[in-house]
Amino acid sequence: MKLKVRLRQRHFRCIGLPFLLLLLTRFKYAETCSNESFPTQFVKVKFTTQVVKNEYIVAFNAYYKSQAREKFIAAALNGLDDRHWKIIARNNPASDYPSDFDVVTLEEAENSQDGLDALRLHPAIRRVTPQRMVHRSLHFENETDFLGDADNSTNTESFERWQSSRPMKRLSLAVNKQFWQSTGRHTSRRLLRAIPRQVTAILQADALWHMGITGAGVKVAVFDTGLAKTHPHFKRIKERTNWTSEKTLDDGLGHGTFVAGVIASHRECLGLAPDAELHVFRVFTNNQVSYTSWFLDAFNYAILKRIGVLNLSIGGPDFMDHPFVDKVWELTANKVIMVSAIGNDGPLYGTLNNPADQMDVIGVGGINFEDQIAKFSSRGMTTWELPQGYGRVKPDIVTYGAAVRGSAIMGGCRTLSGTSVASPVVAGAVALLASGVLHRGNILNPASMKQALLASARRLPGVNMFEQGHGKLDLLRAYQVLNSYQPQASLSPSYIDLSECQYMWPYCSQPLYYGALPTIVNVTILNGLGVSGKVVNKPAWHPYTPQFGHNIDVAFTHSEVLWPWSGWLAVSIAVTRAASNWEGMAQGHVELTIESPPEDGETEPRRSTVRLAIKAKIIPTPPRHKRILWDQYHNLRYPPGYFPRDNLRMKSDPLDWNGDHIHTNFKDMYQHLRNGGYYIEVLGSPLSCLDASQYGTLLIVDPEEEYFPEEVAKLKRDVDAGLSLVVFADWYNVSVMRKVKFYDENTRQWWMPDTGGANVPALNDLLSPWGIALSDSVHEGSFNLGEHEMYYASGSSLLKFPESGVVVSRSLKDQGLEILDSDADSVSKTVPILGLLQSRPNEVEGDDATTEKIFSSPSGRVVVYGDSNCLDNSHLQKDCFWMLDALLEFTSTGHMPSIFKDNSAKVTFPSSDEPLPQRMEGNHLYRYSKVIENHMGTMRTRELPACPHLVWAKPQPLNTSAPSNLYKAQKLLSVGVEGDLPLWRVAPGAAQVDVDRDFGGGLGVDMMDSLAEEEGIALLDLAPALLVISLAAAAVLLACRCYRSRTRPRRKRVTRLRRLMAVLNAGRAPTV
Amino acid sequence: MWAAALLRFIRKRIVLGIIFLFSLTYCIVSFMKEGSSTTSYEIDTLPVRPLDRSFLWHSPKDDLNATDMKVSACRNSVQGKVLIVDDRGYVCSRGNVLPNGCCNIDAENTKRYSCETCKESGCCSIYEYCISCCLHPDKKQVLENVLGKASETLNVLFASVTDHFELCLAKCRTSSQSVQHENTYRDPKAKHCYGEIPIAGS
Repeated sequence: MKLKVRLRQRHFRCIGLPFLLLLLTRFKYAETCSNESFPTQFVKVKFTTQVVKNEYIVAFNAYYKSQAREKFIAAALNGLDDRHWKIIARNNPASDYPSDFDVVTLEEAENSQDGLDALRLHPAIRRVTPQRMVHRSLHFENETDFLGDADNSTNTESFERWQSSRPMKRLSLAVNKQFWQSTGRHTSRRLLRAIPRQVTAILQADALWHMGITGAGVKVAVFDTGLAKTHPHFKRIKERTNWTSEKTLDDGLGHGTFVAGVIASHRECLGLAPDAELHVFRVFTNNQVSYTSWFLDAFNYAILKRIGVLNLSIGGPDFMDHPFVDKVWELTANKVIMVSAIGNDGPLYGTLNNPADQMDVIGVGGINFEDQIAKFSSRGMTTWELPQGYGRVKPDIVTYGAAVRGSAIMGGCRTLSGTSVASPVVAGAVALLASGVLHRGNILNPASMKQALLASARRLPGVNMFEQGHGKLDLLRAYQVLNSYQPQASLSPSYIDLSECQYMWPYCSQPLYYGALPTIVNVTILNGLGVSGKVVNKPAWHPYTPQFGHNIDVAFTHSEVLWPWSGWLAVSIAVTRAASNWEGMAQGHVELTIESPPEDGETEPRRSTVRLAIKAKIIPTPPRHKRILWDQYHNLRYPPGYFPRDNLRMKSDPLDWNGDHIHTNFKDMYQHLRNGGYYIEVLGSPLSCLDASQYGTLLIVDPEEEYFPEEVAKLKRDVDAGLSLVVFADWYNVSVMRKVKFYDENTRQWWMPDTGGANVPALNDLLSPWGIALSDSVHEGSFNLGEHEMYYASGSSLLKFPESGVVVSRSLKDQGLEILDSDADSVSKTVPILGLLQSRPNEVEGDDATTEKIFSSPSGRVVVYGDSNCLDNSHLQKDCFWMLDALLEFTSTGHMPSIFKDNSAKVTFPSSDEPLPQRMEGNHLYRYSKVIENHMGTMRTRELPACPHLVWAKPQPLNTSAPSNLYKAQKLLSVGVEGDLPLWRVAPGAAQVDVDRDFGGGLGVDMMDSLAEEEGIALLDLAPALLVISLAAAAVLLACRCYRSRTRPRRKRVTRLRRLMAVLNAGRAPTV
Repeated sequence: MWAAALLRFIRKRIVLGIIFLFSLTYCIVSFMKEGSSTTSYEIDTLPVRPLDRSFLWHSPKDDLNATDMKVSACRNSVQGKVLIVDDRGYVCSRGNVLPNGCCNIDAENTKRYSCETCKESGCCSIYEYCISCCLHPDKKQVLENVLGKASETLNVLFASVTDHFELCLAKCRTSSQSVQHENTYRDPKAKHCYGEIPIAGS
């Protein structure tokens, strides 16, 4: 007999429900309380039975004691040798009592039934049956396996992805306009099952709903493209306002509807906080235009209306839009909890969007339903702090943002992806949580909410903190943390383990050593004590003596005032001189106290002390030739100024805005060099601050900044003393620069670039001591260097190079000409693109003493390549990391790789009085430069800034040690309600929140139900009209049928009915 | 009997036609209605707030006698980094805010109607001083002018303001009037204005 029992994975609440197994018929379990439709599993129960040879169950016609039963059997089998039969003893508590059967082994000859017959004939024996052995096996099967591969497309179903690719504007983080509303989508079962899971179910929001927490009493503002007043999904649209130039309050795009739906929809595709009070702010036109000034007024209104939670599914790269940034601070200072999308510019690093990258805002990244970071989610550190400092950790938290279901513009549901989807998931969660702690009075503020979310988030394995922040949103844990929250300060990240891979990437990718520039960790202080606070005294550094904490030096800088609700603490870590040859781990902790003015009738200032554990891996200082210095100081980027892209073909992305840091858009290059055994440090100060004797090579890639004359002179001296210089330049052509100016819709003015891809005239100043110069021509094309395919994407060429050097030339197109005159035929010509030079100290020929000295102290080497795109992740087509390796081999050892020697050619450079490229007339570089300033209309060099000087904190050693694994779930101080929260104490069958959806129905029916529902939804909007039409059509049809039925004889339906009955009966009959 | 009659009546072609036509017209009409009903309402048509008697102008007399009875509670500006201003026009440091939300008048640095950092033009560099200055009874005329000339979007804002303090809170915030080229302040040094914002040629 074969039996199939179909079960559905059910919610924990269902466990108390009666649970039946019917053995003979196919059983459909009526699910009454779960809305989870994925994943479906079956339990297959298999029975196999077999007759056990020679064992029989002898049943008597009454209950007898065992001795009596034995006598009966002996009497019946009288004559049979008693070696041939035996009663199997049953050792159980029942054996003392009379029984009505025995198990007997009866050995008989083949084909002989004598013994059996004799038994059957005995008057006290009712029946003799063979003993059977029953095997029952249970196993789980996924429905997908069960149905074959009909469902493979579940997650690969193509869905629309919303992305922002125009960083100029503050974009809604969602772009495409087509909806996939093809009606065919829901007609087959397969497609229906491809519909992604309800995000509320995955986050277990229903557990909170059942506790009566539904978002009631919280004002949620949605800043987006508007929302229709009559949309059927929303219960409480309190107010709608329009701040755009379009005279409508309705959503013409679908973005605003979707976002509002994820927060507060109460039908079909559910939102997290169905009872929250919605305030809809329309700040985007249907063409996705929006201006800072619209936002300013709308934000002011939000403050006036005392909004509690504000969702901004928008963002842009301009974190230097001061009026906007100030206004966001002002909002959070007024206790508005801001939730914003981190951006859709991933997987490139350095792509964080404002305002999500602000400390006071909850920045949300996206993951898919497999808990992987969604490809589109922006990531990398913040770039506000460059070049001197290091970026903060963002996003703060991640949640589902790919293929999430939400409300469609005309009612019904649709699926969207993007961080603008993830942001309202968190905003809805925040609204829900906020409504759950309303009874706790004043504890709720932007900091406490953020602290609770971060402390409760679940870390995703193998993903670094610059991608996932604190991890995945955990709604229920966040509720528990928040419910017991006590005002306090906390840190993000909450500990520093520089050796922990993958989470602490990039810190974990390079150990510390003596002589290195200090490693900076930018920690965000979240201050739940009050909107304004300060760090009391100085943070104290406690190295752990048993764990070699004394081998590191720590220095601090922090914000003067922590406002609003947050501030930063920069921890600079370096190795002490004493440990220059030491290898091992050093540990310790930092302690700091935060203070805020008293609140809620208190008289004493509020104080909170936090600890920051520190752990670092230390190695002996690597040899000089393995150490590379990356020049960050001379890299400028948007914002503030217009620094154009390095690849002129990428017209969709006009700006160079990823920070040009080894941990942002040069990340792959960094990783490649680390794998090659090089150690890379970042110089955030002028070249004059550099201790050249420490490094083998200085890497200057794509620099936009000018150089101080002191730097030019210092670099020449350093190279003479053995430092090598590698320059990757980029295009610079005044005519092309004028051509790529554009009208910026947001600032409503023309934007003229202040440099080219790189600042070639400034580079020429820097390289002049070696007689090297770059041209202002722009070249593009593919070529081969040895076996390697290379792509030159908008670069310059060499204009001058010393005779003694090795120069590589290739045939490239003149892209400058193409851009200036689109009709012109592309002209290819052979241009020098790479030059390698073994430098010699200044030629003071004739002086024997000095010439001798030259050869005794080998000076450094200089390499110049005309294009930086092959190192930059931004628009990387073909990388040239192999070439960088070869160049570094040359600069660090002086050995010229054969690939350059073989491909070099004699180039006749134009005479030395050929004019060099000039800076663009009237450029505004001085506005953004740290080097030059405008003095009465002429440019002049600023005063050389002082080199950074760190004051190391005085160590206060402790004779303790800490566990080597610092990561544990962050614990916030709490009042004593932790532990048993009424979360799980919901009676099965507790009244449902008035969410208009029937989750019931048997399995098969359930599917059909949702099918009908899906179609019903689409129809719902055209409701009355369609209804009437269908009514009319029905009437007409009916009439026709009546006419026909009169003329034709009735068809016999009996046969069909019978067949149906037969099928039904067959279905019920046992198959074995 | 009557049922059969009804059925026969319904089966008539003319009756069916009438039903069909009726539904069609209803359908068309309802479509038209839906199209026009969803356009602008709510905030777009909010009236400009009349400065009638319901608007509570602040006057120092309010709390002259109140000081004797002790003010029970104050609203204040909430957001300040260092300073707080209460609805009586006192500016004090954050540490001097009493549990009831009022500034401690006895504290050394507490000032009333302070126009520190404010210019002649009615613009100040610090938000709290702007409010304090704005609450001065002399500024009533200036504020009435502002309300009279406010742009459409700002009217939305001022429409929900109920008294002098709220008006000052709202007016002193940076707004669409404070920026040029969208992403820069017209005057970064005096961006909080209680008066009309001068058309700056910065």
